Amino acid sequence: MLISGIHSRPKYAGLRVDRSGTHHIILSDTPRDIARMVEGLEPAPGPTEVWTVVGACTVTAAEERGPDGSVVRRAFRSRPLMFDMLGHRLARESMGLRLYAIGEEAFLWDVAALARSFGVDGDEIQLDHAGSERRRVFCVHCRAMTENVRTNIVACVGCGAHLTVRDHFSKRLAAFMGVQADAEVRGDLPPVEEIFR
Amino acid sequence: MTTEFLVPLRVREVEPLSPLLKSFVFEAADGGPVHPAGAGAHLRLLLQNRHQRWKNAYSIVSNPHDRSHLSIIVRKVAQSRGGSAFMHTEVRTGDVLASNPPANLFPIAKTARRHVMVSGGIGVTPFLSYIRAFQSSGAPWELHHFCREDEGALFERLLAPYGGGRIHVHAGQDLSILDASLRSQALGSHLYTCGPGPMMDAVLEKAAGAGWPKGKLHSESFGGEAMGGAPFTAVLMRSGIEVEVGPETTLLDALEAAGVDAPCLCRGGACGQCETAVIEGVPEHRDHYLNEAERASNTSIMTCVSRSKTQRILLDL
Amino acid sequence: MTLSFKPQETFRDDFSYRNSDEAILRFPFPFVEDSYMYSVNIEPHVKGGPTPAFHAAFDVDEHYVAECQERAIVLAQDPSRCKVLPHMIEAEWDTLELIMESLAADYPEHFSLTRSGTAWTWENRPLGIRDSFTFGDATTLPYGPFEYITRQAQGDFTLQDQRDDNLFVDGGMITCQADWSLEFNIGMSFHEWHGPVPLAHEKGVFDRALKYLLRLQNGQPVRRLNWTMTVNPRMDTSPENYPLWGADRTTVTPENVGRKLHLRVELQTLFRLPRSNAILFGIRCYLCNLEDIARVPKWGKRLHRVLRDLDPALEDYKGLTRYRQTAVAYLSRFDDGADLSLGIQPDVDRL
Repeated sequence: MLISGIHSRPKYAGLRVDRSGTHHIILSDTPRDIARMVEGLEPAPGPTEVWTVVGACTVTAAEERGPDGSVVRRAFRSRPLMFDMLGHRLARESMGLRLYAIGEEAFLWDVAALARSFGVDGDEIQLDHAGSERRRVFCVHCRAMTENVRTNIVACVGCGAHLTVRDHFSKRLAAFMGVQADAEVRGDLPPVEEIFR
Repeated sequence: MTTEFLVPLRVREVEPLSPLLKSFVFEAADGGPVHPAGAGAHLRLLLQNRHQRWKNAYSIVSNPHDRSHLSIIVRKVAQSRGGSAFMHTEVRTGDVLASNPPANLFPIAKTARRHVMVSGGIGVTPFLSYIRAFQSSGAPWELHHFCREDEGALFERLLAPYGGGRIHVHAGQDLSILDASLRSQALGSHLYTCGPGPMMDAVLEKAAGAGWPKGKLHSESFGGEAMGGAPFTAVLMRSGIEVEVGPETTLLDALEAAGVDAPCLCRGGACGQCETAVIEGVPEHRDHYLNEAERASNTSIMTCVSRSKTQRILLDL
Repeated sequence: MTLSFKPQETFRDDFSYRNSDEAILRFPFPFVEDSYMYSVNIEPHVKGGPTPAFHAAFDVDEHYVAECQERAIVLAQDPSRCKVLPHMIEAEWDTLELIMESLAADYPEHFSLTRSGTAWTWENRPLGIRDSFTFGDATTLPYGPFEYITRQAQGDFTLQDQRDDNLFVDGGMITCQADWSLEFNIGMSFHEWHGPVPLAHEKGVFDRALKYLLRLQNGQPVRRLNWTMTVNPRMDTSPENYPLWGADRTTVTPENVGRKLHLRVELQTLFRLPRSNAILFGIRCYLCNLEDIARVPKWGKRLHRVLRDLDPALEDYKGLTRYRQTAVAYLSRFDDGADLSLGIQPDVDRL
């Protein structure tokens, strides 16, 4: 069973403001230096918002304007709150919006799936990987998701099978495929190594 | 895929809609159901009299779910290649015409959450079948139709059966009336435009200016309006003959008239079947198929729509 | 030829599946020459050609009833093996129309379709089905239109939406697959769902195949043959059930290889659908064990040479690693090294 060199593995090429859009929302799964990580934010490309998950329960998602007033910032307690707000926002948005997401892979593709459900796809959304390479793994045998996988072999949280983590990636599930490693000869497992840091 | 197969269609009904527009209803000559056709599909009719042959494409306007007939509307064009004039003057109820089965180069985007159509003149025809499809699927839509002031009443009448409220006939008006609407369409909308080339270009430019991405913009060309140009000579390397291409004919038509079995399918620069290698000479690309790098390399030409910038062009045919 | 179905055959447990002599002779042997590598081996799906399996739009053979029963068993355990994304509803009706029209035209003794406008009556005599329904109204059928008709056809099917100059696998009926998962792959683009295939990407096979398929015209379907190998005549070699069949790969011995190991051929067909502009991809699976393959002298010799010289990356991808040498050793006894004719035809008319 091949596990590497698979072409469904997404490639990421950095974020660059798309000036063909009329307004922009940039989403990050943790506080980052967005001005440095997103190319072309100066001069301001039109109405732009930066949404960040800060992981603290004291913040609110209220608008904060920077000193020049051009960029709106919103802080979120968690990813679920950010996605909830994003859903409400996309439901009343109009054409011309561009979305950008930066963070871990599962976060990126959760954003993409939510955006796609509102018809935002293709050139309207850019994704860039940053942070840990840990993976979300979909068990092809029982359909359970095992989160935050750092090793080549992982025990499935659903059925307990020892899964080989393949490079085959489903954007719809925002997950890599896990396949039982010892289905042919029970217990015949390669050494466990930490490979997704 | 190049094997051409033709189906016989019998003219069931011919109805003049105006001095320039005629509606034709066809049924299968064998009495069975007609080929199924999707919204945006066209028929390519093989027309011939004693002196000439034409292959003209017309959008199918009938309901995609109804296989009892296929309908088209033909405009008699002043600069006609002759086929449309032939349809207007020669074709009568009961005649049997040969046609390619319906093909579709202008399909509906199935993932769209809303459909916005912008048509000019007779370019409204593909949208008549679109509307039938939207009515049966329940997808939200609106149509903006532009035409000459004196044709407003005609198109109002033609479009009346297709649902009021969602259809806006802008007779004698210019495209700036679209601006506000393009800026306020919901996320996930797709825009389709069909009509004269310059109008479609202007619509696409307006939409792009309002932030619409390329993937959500769709246009159909009638094909043919930019057909003519300076005459040139096509030199065919393999068959060892020279073919003169006149100012009013296409390279493909000239090849066929010279008895060359040249590949082709859509004859509108979209399908790619007629791609032919260029050995010497510089093509004037008019197709929608080759990408920019392929165009720049000048190593191939789509014979159905493209011409030559050089007086002679050497082809691998 | 009149078909004699074998409804008692099984593809699991006691594996009672067998091919008759006629079925062996009509097997779509996939190797045109003595070696194998990926290519864009697509040709028009016209009736005729070197195997009777090409004689109908959708081939029906002696295993028809048993394969439909096997599909029902898989779906009873896992209904999501059939899944279609909502925007493909028009393609579902296109599929139903195409398969019903084709089966009724190609096998009038077994299938009939009677139509009056949108009031349709479908009769499938081998499966004892007779249903009247309204074309376009899914509430008048016991399943969605795609599931309804593909429960009555041999082989897997997928539906591809065409958009952004690409094809997306946005639906499928996948119960007899060679180790790929619809649940995982649904929604993928052309290159993504072929992601795991080795070597072919680098050769540009998928770029050219995609360009070709984007131009596919209604009424002009195309086909190709693909292959792998399967231990036991097991249809459901899904990744979902790999824990159930994976161990089979360790059971091949020099004594049992001739009967246990099967060449698995997919007759892949692609149809442009008229209303949806989607593409229907048929993946019709044929199984034939090595002993039966070798009864056709040309095929036994050729399969020996292909397996002997196979690229290691393909051996791994197709899962042959544990038993390839055993199969090569078994087949070598049939191969005298004689020159073989080009093409897949058996060159014999009886066994």
